[in-house]
Amino acid sequence: MNKELEALITLQDIDLMIEESNEVEKLGFSITGCSELEKAREEIASRIKKPLLFRYERLRAKLKRAIVPVKNDICLGCFLRQPTSIGAKGREESELFTCENCGRMLYWLD
Amino acid sequence: MKNTELVHLFNENLFLPDLKATSKEEVLEELLDLFIKEKIIRNKQIVMEMLHQRETLGSTGIGKGVAIPHGRTTAAIEVVIAFGKTSNGIAFGSIDNKPVNLFFMIIAPPNDDENKYLPALGSLVTILKNDKNRKKLQNITTYSELISILSGEE
Repeated sequence: MNKELEALITLQDIDLMIEESNEVEKLGFSITGCSELEKAREEIASRIKKPLLFRYERLRAKLKRAIVPVKNDICLGCFLRQPTSIGAKGREESELFTCENCGRMLYWLD
Repeated sequence: MKNTELVHLFNENLFLPDLKATSKEEVLEELLDLFIKEKIIRNKQIVMEMLHQRETLGSTGIGKGVAIPHGRTTAAIEVVIAFGKTSNGIAFGSIDNKPVNLFFMIIAPPNDDENKYLPALGSLVTILKNDKNRKKLQNITTYSELISILSGEE
């Protein structure tokens, strides 16, 4: 798998975790490692080239989710069908593709 | 979330009443392998990383022998819950420092338009705070017993 794609997915997973940590704490979970998780986030972000990281942050600010899963060639961010030609390459996970409609980065699940 | 809705997030093939794991890491791996086997998750490494990061935020061991490893990941498409049980308690860094023998792993997608994830987590915590429910769960051997307890039928 493309290392930057992998880092971007982990980064987003961590961001989602941080975003919902207050709600999870209210359910009775012990949230004690916020600063450690922030450090882990910084370390993962450092593995991503700055222009790509900037694109991630911008998409996240605008659309909440910067990377979205693709299932049956459908972008699950905007539900637009992706061209079959990029589907095969997307599944190889060697390149990063963007939805032509919503601009989100794509991750193929199937 | 109603208990009847919660049980729909479980899957009979994600039910392990006799975990082989003897450590926290092995529990996460054994439960996650069920998702891989069922093709619910394709990339194990990404989800394992998310689960590790979640444990960094704080142990998902909520005490009284229960742990609910959980999290959203870009590598998932729907909210799904796996159940595992072991007769020997496993050290999980729980808030009460006691070993854990009941495990519920919740994997959720980044987009959750139907808002199932946090309500499911909340419902599960409520059910598992009940001493009687936990005691019953310790003794189950079949998936239908699990569903009966979670749906409040038993």
